[in-house]
Amino acid sequence: MNTRELSLVLNGVPARAVVETRKTLADVLREDFGLVGTKLGCEHGVCGACTVLVDGAAVRSCLLFAVQVEGLSVDTVEGLSATGELSEVQEAFRRHHALQCGFCTPGLLMSVTEYLRDADPADDDELRDALSGNVCRCTGYQGIVDAVRQLVDDRRSADADG
Amino acid sequence: MPTADGLPGIGGIARGKAVGARVTRVEDPKLLLGEARYVADLALPRMLHAAFVRSPHAHARVVSVDPTPAAAQPGVVAVLTGETLTALPLEDAAVHPTLPKTPQPAIATDRVRWAGEAVALVIAESAYLAEDAAEHVLVEYDPLGVLDDLDAALASDAPLIHDHLPGNVLIRDHYSHGDVNAIFQSADHVFQRQIHHNRLAASPMETRGCLADYRRSTGLLTFWSSTQTPDLLRLMLSIVLDHPHQRLQVIAPDVGGGFGPKMSTYPEEVAVAFASRLLGRPVRWIEDRREHMLTTNHAKEQRIDLSIAANADGRFLAFRARYVSDSGAYSFNSATALIEPQLAAGLMPGIYDVQAYEYELLAVMTNKTPIGPYRGVGWTAGHTTREVLIDEIARELGADPTELRLANMIRADMLPYRSATGLEYDSGSNERAVAKAVEAAGYDAVRRAQREADPTADRRVGIGVSPYVEPTAYGTEIAEQSGYPYSSHDNATVTVGPTGTVRVSVGVCSQGQGHQTTFAQLAADALGVSVGDVEVVAGDTERAPFGLGTYASRGAVIGGGAVALAATQVRSRILKLGGDLLEAAPEDLRIEDSIISVIGSPDVSISLADVAGAAYFDPAVRGPGEEFVLSAMSFYDPRPTFSNGCFVAVAEVDLDTGGVRILRFVAVEDCGTVLNPMIVEGQVRGAVAQGVGAALLEGLVYDGDGQLLTASFMDYLLPLASDVPAIEVHHMETPSPRTVGGIKGMGESGLMASPAAIINAVLDAVSPYDPALVELPLTPEGVLRLAGRLPAS
Repeated sequence: MNTRELSLVLNGVPARAVVETRKTLADVLREDFGLVGTKLGCEHGVCGACTVLVDGAAVRSCLLFAVQVEGLSVDTVEGLSATGELSEVQEAFRRHHALQCGFCTPGLLMSVTEYLRDADPADDDELRDALSGNVCRCTGYQGIVDAVRQLVDDRRSADADG
Repeated sequence: MPTADGLPGIGGIARGKAVGARVTRVEDPKLLLGEARYVADLALPRMLHAAFVRSPHAHARVVSVDPTPAAAQPGVVAVLTGETLTALPLEDAAVHPTLPKTPQPAIATDRVRWAGEAVALVIAESAYLAEDAAEHVLVEYDPLGVLDDLDAALASDAPLIHDHLPGNVLIRDHYSHGDVNAIFQSADHVFQRQIHHNRLAASPMETRGCLADYRRSTGLLTFWSSTQTPDLLRLMLSIVLDHPHQRLQVIAPDVGGGFGPKMSTYPEEVAVAFASRLLGRPVRWIEDRREHMLTTNHAKEQRIDLSIAANADGRFLAFRARYVSDSGAYSFNSATALIEPQLAAGLMPGIYDVQAYEYELLAVMTNKTPIGPYRGVGWTAGHTTREVLIDEIARELGADPTELRLANMIRADMLPYRSATGLEYDSGSNERAVAKAVEAAGYDAVRRAQREADPTADRRVGIGVSPYVEPTAYGTEIAEQSGYPYSSHDNATVTVGPTGTVRVSVGVCSQGQGHQTTFAQLAADALGVSVGDVEVVAGDTERAPFGLGTYASRGAVIGGGAVALAATQVRSRILKLGGDLLEAAPEDLRIEDSIISVIGSPDVSISLADVAGAAYFDPAVRGPGEEFVLSAMSFYDPRPTFSNGCFVAVAEVDLDTGGVRILRFVAVEDCGTVLNPMIVEGQVRGAVAQGVGAALLEGLVYDGDGQLLTASFMDYLLPLASDVPAIEVHHMETPSPRTVGGIKGMGESGLMASPAAIINAVLDAVSPYDPALVELPLTPEGVLRLAGRLPAS
């Protein structure tokens, strides 16, 4: 069993572990760091449930080996709220009923977090295209689209005011 | 009717601030913060991991299984085979006089019947090591002839999949009501359509999984599973493992979607529980997606042939149908191989007034994954067949399809109505729902635009209308009416604690439907407290009363009704004691915001906390022999009630590519008393999205050797945000006269009736080409065939 020492910045805090080189980032996050908020839905990179941010980019943690994030920063759903209060994105998801069983939700939250940094969709079709990397089997996507639409609009009006 | 405290009442339950409101869900914060705990998130000290070895053959004799090379691999603790795993086989519990059983072993012994059936179980210190070692189990097979589809299974020289089932037919059944033959002989028109309905995977985002923890010292077996039915799973495990029921606890932790397949008891669950008991250590198994596609029950595949006899005006006179289901390798223990054809047949008359109906049904066994439940079992295929044929009739007769439907519909003034199959529709807004849906969808404007469109254009727009009735409140009576007699009820316990807050425990557990919120709303209004003062416990056989679980749109009616009944009992005890303390008659009191006061004299009041405190701690409030237990348990077995509604889809078809774009989707839903419109809308939209998949994208495909060609999400296409349109939901509210609170069930209609709306919109768009639909889904290739741009298959 080959192992290697891994150091990274995990949810803003330096972290280290000795990990098996063949383990995926998703498994290391869940098993070695106990961050089970990241979910595995398909383990072949389609469903997006395992999406985390690596140096700010949304990636499938089931398709990366953990050792590939050596020295990088990784953000998971657990890092979205330091206090246990819902963040702006989480609150919008709740208000718009953007989740039911919640299994795809952590991955969606991470994808949306990345998307909102420079999102400027012309219409809901464009928004839906942007969200099409994450499968949700419960909601029919409407609540998710509504939540992200509201977040985009809020940001636009904040920019206009600023 | 007014309730005791003067609040507006609905059919016997109190309605205050919560019921009917868009209450945001109490379960959301844990799900959003990553604090939810699904079974794969649970770990125990000394926990072992399981990996199954699965047959690569669809049909074979198992000559030998040699576990020794695997047992020698690093980290391996045990390798179990069909010989060493000694549990009783799984069988359905159906009470049906002529339905044979197909006992299903936890691990195959001498025969495998589909590619994916387990032949060994490896237990190791990690999941990686277990999967490594699984490749070292040596299995010798002797392949047998494969029944890869209905024609192969029904061929006169077909090999037998189960030796006791001649012709590979599990059951053949007939039903007749009215003089169907005479009507068909004399009718002006007879129309006919046969459709092969696609095999689907419900595909909850969380796969199956379980964790068993057996303690040798106590004999207690604790079993966590991603299940919809903890009490039924407990009972089944107790039987097949011969484990004392009182020492078996089943817990459904957070569950990542169900939709039907998590109703059944699976062989893997038996095997994992067995392994933990054998080894005296916790054992966890988490299914991967490929295993899920191969082994979690498939759904909905059947061939339906429907004929409708009509008079010259297009009045439907009689239906005749044949249902042949491709049921897979075992008559699965959820509800047998009958579920698809039987439920399709039972609801075929649907919302239409047709009293003459006969059918034949066959459940056929094949070398494929067993068929089991998925949202709208049977109804999706039956409803789709009928609605597609009705549009064809309209085209043949030159009638407007909506007018044709309305002319044949059971109107609200005909309710209650007993269908040709014995379903007793109670109430509804049938024709009004259609009117509302077509108006909201701009039906007339679409028709106008179609007339004005360039007839040679490659982009064509069509519209499809799909009205429905949905059987709900799956209690004992409707189970009987549906051809599946069993006792279907539920229980709930409601307790007001000494601080005046409320705990509800109920046997109906959630896989994302928001029960914690809706049940809290019901209890909150019954007891005059806020939703935040109510905690709902479910999904644990130790902490909740016996219940049959969540399926068949039974949650709101049966679970919710049971909660309301128990809460109402506790309410009357509180009012009795409150009345004593305020020196007022209980019927003159109200409870609001946790304050009990005299109606009309709000200053004469006492807090709920004080009343509860007195009940628990002040013996002076009790008269001789009197007791104040602020806890009640209810039992509820409702009479059948039927939701109704109508869906309209507008779709654009590109005859160049075969692509379909859904431009509009309108859903009118009448599920009686709406407990939480936000949650109802979420259920409708989620089910309609699944309908988009069923109509246009999803299909499990096998090759001639019985190998599943669509075992990943690369090949089995789930609808994405870009595939699903905005779904416009309108509520109508016709409370049931039969159920507590007038509540009707909902949640399945979206998948029952939306495929027909979408498919009919596509067929309408290509109607100049006389489209003859024979199979689903309507892939781009299929669309081009229907439009004559590709040769028919």
